Amino acid sequence: MEAERTKRTPDIQGGEAAAAKNEGSRGETPDAGAPDERYSRQTLFAPIGAEGQRRLAERRVCIVGMGALGTVLANHMVRAGVGSVRIVDRDYVERSNLQRQMLYDEEDAELALPKVVAAERKLRRINSSISLEAVTADVTPGNATELIEGADLVLDGTDNFQTRFLLNDVCYREGIPFVYGGAVGSRGMSAIFVPGATPCLRCLIPAADSGGETCDTVGVISPVVDLVASYQAAEALKFLVGDEAARRDGLVTFDVWNNYYHVLKLGRPREDCLCCGLRQYPALGREEETTLSLCGRDSIQIAGRAPFDLELWERKLSAALPGLKANPYLLRGALPEGGRIVLFADGRVLVQGTDDPVRARTIYDRYIGS
Amino acid sequence: MTELTVNGSKRDLEASTIEDVVRLLGLEGRPVVAEVNGEVLTSGEWADTAVEPGMKIELVHFVGGG
Repeated sequence: MEAERTKRTPDIQGGEAAAAKNEGSRGETPDAGAPDERYSRQTLFAPIGAEGQRRLAERRVCIVGMGALGTVLANHMVRAGVGSVRIVDRDYVERSNLQRQMLYDEEDAELALPKVVAAERKLRRINSSISLEAVTADVTPGNATELIEGADLVLDGTDNFQTRFLLNDVCYREGIPFVYGGAVGSRGMSAIFVPGATPCLRCLIPAADSGGETCDTVGVISPVVDLVASYQAAEALKFLVGDEAARRDGLVTFDVWNNYYHVLKLGRPREDCLCCGLRQYPALGREEETTLSLCGRDSIQIAGRAPFDLELWERKLSAALPGLKANPYLLRGALPEGGRIVLFADGRVLVQGTDDPVRARTIYDRYIGS
Repeated sequence: MTELTVNGSKRDLEASTIEDVVRLLGLEGRPVVAEVNGEVLTSGEWADTAVEPGMKIELVHFVGGG
């Protein structure tokens, strides 16, 4: 895996050390040893209480995908005081994200910042007392186990079924609960899948694609993604504080425009399921694909062989691609053939403006070489 | 014609199995799970499940965006 990680671990207790450190500069932190008012309304909520808050501070979650669902999930987890939050995404911020991806702003899009970089900046300002780890990576069968390692819970912020099935399989193999969420148009759904206790995604539907219905083809409205991610976050909090009795034993599904709401009862894991019954985890055994389409958005990503030295590549490509834009994480240029090419520091290349893998490979070979 | 309640709406459908209902609603080949009178049926079970008048069917179409 070629993943860039940044990790800073402040005093996750948020207690004396943090209070003492901040006292001189702002003088607004609570007295050393006094409970942090930050969580007062949450601890007043009886099912969480002081004990639940202490448990949250000890828990680790991994959020995969920092788009519409992921940003809402991260906002909830970080504000709630979950002790360690790892965020993973492969993409960068674009203007078309701003309508619903609540942690990003116009400047992030202008700078084309990687989503995890932009998100990390906002999240640190929201809560500096938790441990936050930002990982720029594409989740693959080769790195999925490492990415979720150490997590008590994995939260689904992905935008495609291929990655969801991969997360489903790796979570069930590792025995880590997985909180599914999905949204498109005005429809959304969510469920918590707990290995051994509930069915998994594979018990319910066979390996699937979105049938051409993605946020980039039929659109999506912001309220539905907020709702889906908030249902996910609520199940996450119940699980993280250990309130097993409160777990929703059903998949909630709704259409906020057409006024539909239903809870599908989940029941038990299926004995003939490839994951739950047969323990085969098919997504993990699959050969890594070298090219894949991103959420039907006229883009093809090509997995890289090695990280890019972006300064070197900027010099190499500046003649062929005038107007090349660079930031510390990526290089982006308009192609004379039409469309755009984006080189990520971790070695991935995105060819935008095509859904044809052959053309994407041609562009890759033309400018990067194979 | 069989009168069924599908996702909360009453419908008269020319269907003899759940598979027919899924096809008539244009959801064939999509990631769908059916709940029939409260019981979850995955796609492999639809062809063998006959519909009866008054059946309550929920077709839950999984969404992949996010």
